[in-house]
Amino acid sequence: MAVSVAKQGYHLGHGEVDDHHDTVIYNETRDMRLLGFVLFLCADVILFSSFIFAYIYLRTTVSPVWPPIMDGKQLPRLDVAFACFNSVVLFGSGVTMHFAMEGWRHAKRGMFNLFMGLTIVLGAGFLAGQGYEYMHAKIGGWSGSIFGASFFTLTGMHGFHVFVGVCYLIVLWWQTSRSVYTTDRYFGLTAGTLYWHFVDVIWVALFFLFYLW
Amino acid sequence: MATLAPGVKTGPYHAVLDHIHPEPTSFIRRYIFSIDAKVIGIQYMITGGLFFLIAGLLAEIIRAQLMSPTGAVVTPATYNAIYSMHGSAMVWMVIIPLVSGAFGNFVMPLQIGARDVAFPWLNLAAFWMFPVAGIILFSSFLVGAPDAGWTEYPPISLQGPPGTSLWCIAIFLVGVSSTLTGINFAVTMLKMRAPGMTFTRMPLFVWAQLATSPLLFVATTALGAALAALFIERTFGVPFYDPAHGGSPVLWQHMFWFYSHPAVYIMILPVFGIISEVLPTFSKKPIFGYKMVAFSTVSIALLGFTVWAHHMFTSGMVPWLQLPFMILTMLIAIPTGVKIFSWMATLWGGSIDWKTPMLFATAFLITFTCGGLTGFFLAAVPADYHEHGSYFVVAHFHYVLYGGSVMGLFAGFYYWWPKITGKMYNETLGQLHFWITFIAFNGTFMPMHWLGLMGMPRRVAIYDPQYTFWNQFASISSFILALSMLIFLYNMLIWTFRHGKPAGPNPWGGRTLEWMISSPPPYYNYKKIPAVLAAPYDFGNPLPYIGLDAAPGAVEATPTAESHPVPTH
Repeated sequence: MAVSVAKQGYHLGHGEVDDHHDTVIYNETRDMRLLGFVLFLCADVILFSSFIFAYIYLRTTVSPVWPPIMDGKQLPRLDVAFACFNSVVLFGSGVTMHFAMEGWRHAKRGMFNLFMGLTIVLGAGFLAGQGYEYMHAKIGGWSGSIFGASFFTLTGMHGFHVFVGVCYLIVLWWQTSRSVYTTDRYFGLTAGTLYWHFVDVIWVALFFLFYLW
Repeated sequence: MATLAPGVKTGPYHAVLDHIHPEPTSFIRRYIFSIDAKVIGIQYMITGGLFFLIAGLLAEIIRAQLMSPTGAVVTPATYNAIYSMHGSAMVWMVIIPLVSGAFGNFVMPLQIGARDVAFPWLNLAAFWMFPVAGIILFSSFLVGAPDAGWTEYPPISLQGPPGTSLWCIAIFLVGVSSTLTGINFAVTMLKMRAPGMTFTRMPLFVWAQLATSPLLFVATTALGAALAALFIERTFGVPFYDPAHGGSPVLWQHMFWFYSHPAVYIMILPVFGIISEVLPTFSKKPIFGYKMVAFSTVSIALLGFTVWAHHMFTSGMVPWLQLPFMILTMLIAIPTGVKIFSWMATLWGGSIDWKTPMLFATAFLITFTCGGLTGFFLAAVPADYHEHGSYFVVAHFHYVLYGGSVMGLFAGFYYWWPKITGKMYNETLGQLHFWITFIAFNGTFMPMHWLGLMGMPRRVAIYDPQYTFWNQFASISSFILALSMLIFLYNMLIWTFRHGKPAGPNPWGGRTLEWMISSPPPYYNYKKIPAVLAAPYDFGNPLPYIGLDAAPGAVEATPTAESHPVPTH
């Protein structure tokens, strides 16, 4: 808010309008937004944690065996090999995101554009891989059993976050082409990076809980 | 920074504070889609107040039904819908928005010396989700309202009427609103306090809001997950809770109470803050044990996350888990006791001015303590086996929610109404309202303890004739309680505006920052952000502020910078 106010140049007659003052306002606003964004991510962690709790509870205390029995047959386990490949795609996008930001900070626009593009492609690739996995997972569908319920709900929620993240990165990329950010004022990019790494970290937990456990 | 008094260093976050928004001129931007936290606070009061009246009328239908053992007013099915909606609306559409949204938005930025909350547009968005959610909730009557109680335990809620899905959407939406408000408030209080206002110089209402805000964005999202799962199970048949498909109804209870127990503290902690403001002001005495009151608020908020399963002692939980949950629940009595005794010690030896807010605050001490004591009974596993699901529980949570939260909200309304409107309410009508409320409240809910111990179950539309007398007693008292609201509404909405004398900046001799500016406060709150030198409650000492806006009559004596240590960050 304060940035837009500063842009309006509206003052009550004290405080000098100069570049330094403007920088102070930018930094304070950025810190407030950063804190707010981190708290939002905390809330999002709780959302995932609640569903993870539900999954662990159903798996450990409700179902007598895991994978559970559906229509008289025990369901198969998930395909770990493909999930490993898909995870590498997602984690790779976290690495390219990091290099994109390095490029931005050092005013290397070519490097930024290359790695930002790669991040978006890898994110979209992960989503495609997840779609492929959904079609080939033989665990009885979303509403078949508690396995399907917890797996498709949690990974679907995560996939939705990745989808939002990809859209977010596309908007940010478009914004950089419109010179919204500079090499020392790029809060939107910081938030996008944080969000993208957050989505990665959630996937670590989901990968362990669904494929390795 | 030129806005500060000489000799005070600029804190880290004051260039932002230094700027003032131009006041919008159009009606819509000023009163409908305003980004001013004060206007949004008033919008929360109006909306929450309307929902309070609707939910209160539902309560009166419940009491009318229970006037006779055969319950002739509504059918048992309708009765189920009515008590479910009464509970849901009172918790999510009335008390939570009023304690955090309404008073948090109006009072908290004023008390920390800020011009607005950290994210005003987010605040606007969060507010408008709330009336939409309320309309969705009440519109479920059109398609068949939820009928499994406000807790909506599966599998009953899975088989419930279509309105149960609307209930999920409405509560989810108001949960998003709470989450955004919690984030917004946390950032505001952490980053936008006036220079010199360290944590131990914050008013206790701000402490209470600070302890509540993480509950709003942590606990509420957990409920969001539970509601989303219930919704997709009802809509798409995805098994989470239905034992017939391998799910577990106890899972819902865990997820629901993991939110809903902290929600109890969301509803009461801000009210603790109101009480901590009212008691010292009308006792003309510093609050006793400032730090202990503040820290006990925080420890209640933390402990509140560790006790949820005490709602589930009879749900087939593992027996060895019952003991730790019982002990942890009883531990909450320690910080709560610290608060109650600190408040009593604040009254001790004070020159007490029995104005309406003070009457309500003192009544709060009595009724809330009663509710806390019955909570102790319910926390004890053996006693809970007898009392669970009985009217004893109904009595308990109405003593903490009506006797606690609503009494405290009344105290807050009377206390800050002159600040909000700039005019005084009628003291005689206020005291009349208080005495009728206090007597009728106890008349309504006290007999429910006995009914519960005698064995009357809650959520029944008809009952055994042996319970008739106390039910009729409670019902008649509740009708009087409802009528007392008319006095309140007339006093606050009509008398105050027609006949109320101008309040002036500080009608009560309060010492927190909001009393240092005119009533109602100007759009920008503070022309100059004052600096804070000490906690606000040292009655008898000069005011601990420098650089206050000139407001004749508001300032007793402005200390000079030389007479106080310069605050450093």
